[in-house]
Amino acid sequence: MTNTNDFISLLASKLGRSTPQSAPEPAAFDVPSFQVSSQERVRTFLDNWQALGGKGAIVKSPDEAIQCLQEWFGDLSFAQTTNQGTIVSWNLLPAFAESAFTTLNWPLARYSQAAPSPQDRHQLAAQAELGVTGADWGVALSGTIVTSSNPQRGRAVSLLPPRHLTVMETSKIRNTIAEILSEVSALENPPAALEFITGPSRTSDIEMDLSIGVHGPIEVYVLLIDDSEDTASNSSD
Amino acid sequence: MSTYKPIVEKRVDNALTNDFLRKATRRATDRLRHNKYNAADELGDWEKWRLAGDTIRSHVIANLDYYLKQLITQVEKNGGHVHLAQTPSEAVDIVSKIARDHGAKTIIKSKSMVSEEIHLNKVLEKDGISVVETDLGEYILQVAGEVPSHIIVPAMHKTRQQVAEIFEPLAGHPLSSDTPTLTKFVRQQMRQKFLQGDIGITGCNFAVAETGSITMVTNEGNGRMVSTLPRVQITLMGMERIVPSFRELSVLLNLLGRSATGQRLSSYTTILTPPKQSTDADGPEEFHLVILDHNRSEILGDPTFRQSLKCIRCGACFNVCPVYRQIGGHAYGSVYAGPIGSVITPLLENDWEKWGHLPYFSSLCGACTEACPVRIPLHDLLVKLRARKTMTGHTPQIEKRIFQAYRYMFTHEKTLRQALRLGARFQFPFVQHDRIVSGPPPLSNWTKSKTLPKVASKSFMYLWAEAKHKGTIPTPNSKE
Repeated sequence: MTNTNDFISLLASKLGRSTPQSAPEPAAFDVPSFQVSSQERVRTFLDNWQALGGKGAIVKSPDEAIQCLQEWFGDLSFAQTTNQGTIVSWNLLPAFAESAFTTLNWPLARYSQAAPSPQDRHQLAAQAELGVTGADWGVALSGTIVTSSNPQRGRAVSLLPPRHLTVMETSKIRNTIAEILSEVSALENPPAALEFITGPSRTSDIEMDLSIGVHGPIEVYVLLIDDSEDTASNSSD
Repeated sequence: MSTYKPIVEKRVDNALTNDFLRKATRRATDRLRHNKYNAADELGDWEKWRLAGDTIRSHVIANLDYYLKQLITQVEKNGGHVHLAQTPSEAVDIVSKIARDHGAKTIIKSKSMVSEEIHLNKVLEKDGISVVETDLGEYILQVAGEVPSHIIVPAMHKTRQQVAEIFEPLAGHPLSSDTPTLTKFVRQQMRQKFLQGDIGITGCNFAVAETGSITMVTNEGNGRMVSTLPRVQITLMGMERIVPSFRELSVLLNLLGRSATGQRLSSYTTILTPPKQSTDADGPEEFHLVILDHNRSEILGDPTFRQSLKCIRCGACFNVCPVYRQIGGHAYGSVYAGPIGSVITPLLENDWEKWGHLPYFSSLCGACTEACPVRIPLHDLLVKLRARKTMTGHTPQIEKRIFQAYRYMFTHEKTLRQALRLGARFQFPFVQHDRIVSGPPPLSNWTKSKTLPKVASKSFMYLWAEAKHKGTIPTPNSKE
């Protein structure tokens, strides 16, 4: 193990100068931008998400959300199960989702409160059929959902169950990762984990043959809640 | 050279006679290359993106001391531990000490080229620790006892039947060789290992100096598993894998996913600022960042080859290389194969005897340079490495002799004339259809696979003298 100062001085000497005390002038670069209207952005996001094998829908009311969830997960008969851990979720989901799960009587096990030890929480998520999370952002250009970690959430919720459902307002969709990373930069500290999830777990390691779900979720779903202004004004009528 | 030459030749012969390997290499590189073209076209003005990638990486390398110091300070401020390793063995010692301190029995690993570079697994296993490679391709190779043949699809040289046979002893029953069955088998195998891992070891695609974050890109989600479930996380990185801030990171993530596999963004792009917050529901409580030099500082101090440190390990140069396409990764013999491997291996390992053959694994066509998303002039560096090898006296005897003879001939006009005359007269046993098709050694090395023009009955020197005599030499201004 080398001492930090020695290590840095070696590099400085290789560069033929002493290490600057203040930050160097940032590199100047210019890349083409990708920008679309907010409506097109939602459409692009969904198209890209679906192109990678994800399922997705835009809903305007809690009823539509319920319908959608039933269509996707009705066969799993969550309501009949006595096992409290079949669906694992963050502590708090968008209100639409909370009310939909309550109406459907599908019990949610809250990951961070479900067990005192991390190992037990991991087991819980590993045995669940479905993990439900919100998201902080979406990326239209790549069809990506973005979640940041915090104590009310759990990283394993979107990772260990074979199915992952994200519930997200359409207003959270941005054009590119650059926009999101610039919003993250504005935070005082970045979260311990910022996860960009683009479709299901995939690999082409065996004869270049695409295969889904070797480690992470096999099925991924996104329920987009339309909170655009025209919908909001319509619903207030 | 003499001791390694037969080994190198054997490796190449093995590759050239393995039809499946060659077919698989063509399939993998064709697929990845075409995916990349589509993904690059879609972005619009790919050259602008490459220029931005080049600008950012060059800036980091030119200020590596500053950014590395900033990174170390930030990681420590966040509560992580930083370990600096000058050599591979120091890096291995650091990791094995952390493992011992925690009494680790099982280590789960996501893909890390640095761990291959320092040959980490062997040492940990000697300490009685079970090390599990969790990337599907790496896992196949670990069970088979082999090394990667491609930086992005490491086990592409294996047939599905071979994969099934590799896994059958673990399964305890015959396995069907279709991809879904094999994938499902690995998912089940790996689940318990993920949940039981005491320590997670990850690689690092980019570290962010400003925030002390590390970025990891995987498609399978194993990187997330390894950085979410174990209590302790160790991340290994080469010291040049840094970006100043998130602003630059977004450009490089765009370049990486598209260049590596033609994806807009890899399935799981994870930006970690470890350790976890004390009240977070999961994530590692303890974080160690191991930063490796291994002669990178020497490369930094060498203005000719400094540019090779810009590499973001996307593998795009593999997928366009006509040499890699024919022989695959194992023939190189090095941890890093392909054009970039041929550039950095002799420099990292600082061993011309063992690795001096690599700069010659190139047709110098320049396709690698064109493919590189951060514009490393790879073929140019390969030529310069050949020159460096020659200047340091590591050329084979026969090559030295040939060049000595060449120099002698071309500085002794009479002897040259005579040799050409003799050549023209006695070459007939070797000539077919006006080409030399065979010959005694060392000429046979060439004629085994190619032909040579035959020695002209009237040499250029003769024709020139004759034309001069007749006064028929065209002048530059004459219009013909």
